[in-house]
Amino acid sequence: MTDDADRSAGPLAGHDRPIVELRGLTKRFGAVVALDAISLAVRAGEFLTLLGASGSGKTTTLRLIAGFDVATAGQILMDGVDVAALPPFKRPVNTVFQQYALFPHMSVRDNVAYGLRMRRVRAADVTTRVADALDLVQLGALGDRAPRQLSGGQQQRVALARAIVNRPRVLLLDEPLGALDLKLRRAMQLELKRLQTQLGITFIYVTHDQEEALTMSDRIALMRNGRIEQLGSPTDLYDRPRSRYVADFIGETNLLRAVVAGTGAAPGLIRVEVAGGATLDVAMPHDAAWLARAGTETWVSIRPEAMTVCADGHPTGTPTPGGARPGGQVVLAGTVTAAVYAGSIVKVHVALAGDASVVAHHTPATAPTPAPGSAVRVMASADRAMLVGA
Amino acid sequence: MSGVAPALGAPPPSDAGGAGGAGGAGGEPRDPAHRARPATRLDRLRARRGWRTLLGSVVPVSWAVTLLLVPYVLLLAQSFWRLRDGVITHELTTENYRRLFGTPLYPATILYSAGVALRVTVISLALSYPLAYVLAFKVRRHRTLMYMAVIIPLWVSYLVRAYAWKIILGQDGILNGLLLSVGLIRAPLTVLLYSTAAVVVALTHIYTPFTLMPIYAVLDAIPVSLREASQDLYAGRWRTWLHVTLPLSLPGVVAGCTFAFVLSMGDFLAPQLLGGNDSALMVSNLVWSLFGVAFNWPLGAAVSVVMLALTLALLAVAGAVEARGRYGQVATGAVAEYAGPI
Ligand SMILES: Nc1ncnc2c1ncn2[C@@H]1O[C@H](COP(=O)(O)OP(=O)(O)O)[C@@H](O)[C@H]1O
Ligand SMILES: [Mg+2]
Repeated sequence: MTDDADRSAGPLAGHDRPIVELRGLTKRFGAVVALDAISLAVRAGEFLTLLGASGSGKTTTLRLIAGFDVATAGQILMDGVDVAALPPFKRPVNTVFQQYALFPHMSVRDNVAYGLRMRRVRAADVTTRVADALDLVQLGALGDRAPRQLSGGQQQRVALARAIVNRPRVLLLDEPLGALDLKLRRAMQLELKRLQTQLGITFIYVTHDQEEALTMSDRIALMRNGRIEQLGSPTDLYDRPRSRYVADFIGETNLLRAVVAGTGAAPGLIRVEVAGGATLDVAMPHDAAWLARAGTETWVSIRPEAMTVCADGHPTGTPTPGGARPGGQVVLAGTVTAAVYAGSIVKVHVALAGDASVVAHHTPATAPTPAPGSAVRVMASADRAMLVGA
Repeated sequence: MSGVAPALGAPPPSDAGGAGGAGGAGGEPRDPAHRARPATRLDRLRARRGWRTLLGSVVPVSWAVTLLLVPYVLLLAQSFWRLRDGVITHELTTENYRRLFGTPLYPATILYSAGVALRVTVISLALSYPLAYVLAFKVRRHRTLMYMAVIIPLWVSYLVRAYAWKIILGQDGILNGLLLSVGLIRAPLTVLLYSTAAVVVALTHIYTPFTLMPIYAVLDAIPVSLREASQDLYAGRWRTWLHVTLPLSLPGVVAGCTFAFVLSMGDFLAPQLLGGNDSALMVSNLVWSLFGVAFNWPLGAAVSVVMLALTLALLAVAGAVEARGRYGQVATGAVAEYAGPI
């Protein structure tokens, strides 16, 4: 581990030049377009996650970077150099495979030593580096075991050790925790993140688990149908989703159909009319100026935890016209249909006018939980009600 | 033989149904609630399961005993009997073995047969491995079709395949015809047929599918990701094959080679049809003539027993080699299971 100190360059080193850059990368399998001209610049030292549903092209992207498949079109640059001509064994990346792909006929130690031996590292160095790598993943005592004698979590660590022992500049990980149970997965998420920061290796990490992506990543590229739907930090994607798909994929959210009515009462706010007739002033996402044209049909996304529910003063529960308040509050009137206990919170389901409904997370400690059937107002700060593309 | 153990170890059929009334008389103190308990469905199921296990193992065990064990025991006994004036007497003697090892002809024949079998094995392997490799890793479309094309000779009668070589290699055969018409030779070659080479060629043709099948099976079962992982870890194609593909395909190689060797060593039709005068003396032909022509059954049996012992030794070695290829596992390989029909 002595050699780790000089490698802890951190996420900011080489910030301006991407370590891996994809330019218009396209991959077709016959008629299937697995990757549709994606472009992406990976910064040195960062933890970048490719997140997406199954079949969105994550594995294809990794395999193209590793060199296992050949792109139909586009370029892959590593340190500014096109690597199209390089076979996998000449690329400065290592892969942690989805099913680990440990060599069954070798001991754990020989598995980890494989890459070093293939690069003809001196035997003495191989021994110490393999021992260090096994210690790093807390498997120091199991070097003589066969892979099949290990649990899934241990095999996963061996796969990790086998890759990082080579000190790659970029590590590609394809759903490395996918086969583990939830508890182990959570623990491994933190451990992987710790290793990544400690070793300063750039991680390109594939997962379909949005929670995992939010926990570990510096940046997330959310993929959909072979394209990058949105690229940004976890907070970007969570708080400022660009589209309805992103808002829905990352975390839980309430989506309300809306039509743009005009500019809002304050800068950065835009006035929309939601189904059921309420008019709201909501926040406009960073670069969605095209949404601002009046008459555009779109969606408003409000996270359940951004909402508060309070008992309505009006006996009838008629929707208050002009839902926007001067204080930048979005207010919606409705009727509680269910209150579902979920431990620290209660999920309050509220039916709004015009067939819409929302779920709000209510904290029972702050106020009594409204009973089903009661008329309530659901409120959220305007900057947490986001206008998103369809 | 593995069927024996479960048969003996199987629990005896439950008698829960009849245990009721006799319970007290047996002197064994019993729970009164247990006494009148009628047979439950589970009990009946267990009873039936027990019978089934017993029945299910009787068939294969008796099969193995009558078809394998009895003949071999008879063969072994036969080899220790004395032939006196053309009559087999049930008199124990080691004379047959002393004669076997004392006459140069017999060990020489065994060695000669082993030499032929070895050549067949090496050529079969050299042909099968690359073909299996290409089939398993390179061919994308029509893979099954191509595999079948290689296997199809197995569907043709052995005799047809052996005679085909007579037609190809004979004096008026296809090969001579071809060479003559091309002008490479003036007169038909007579050395082609009735030679050791002809036997080796025919046996290779006949037994190569047996080498190919297990090799293809193991190669096909190697996950692509293992070879990709190797390449990811800086090994090129050649070193990936050497360090990953080859070790993982070794069980198939050992199995395939064993098939080719054992089957061609025991073959007697191809040498009979295609071998010359001297090369017609493969060990099986020797056994054939000892039993059939010389009517010296005890000596024939002794030769057979020696062959059997050699084959079993070979299988044991093959099994050990195969097991060594796997890390951290004591395995009995696929080869060991082929010890039966020799
Ligand atoms: N070898 C292949 N042949 C044909 N289609 C493929 C192949 N690999 C991937 N695909 C297709 O490409 C698309 C993207 O696949 P993939 O990258 O594996 O998705 P993900 O890893 O995000 O689940 C899918 O529609 C998949 O069916
Ligand atoms: Mg995938």
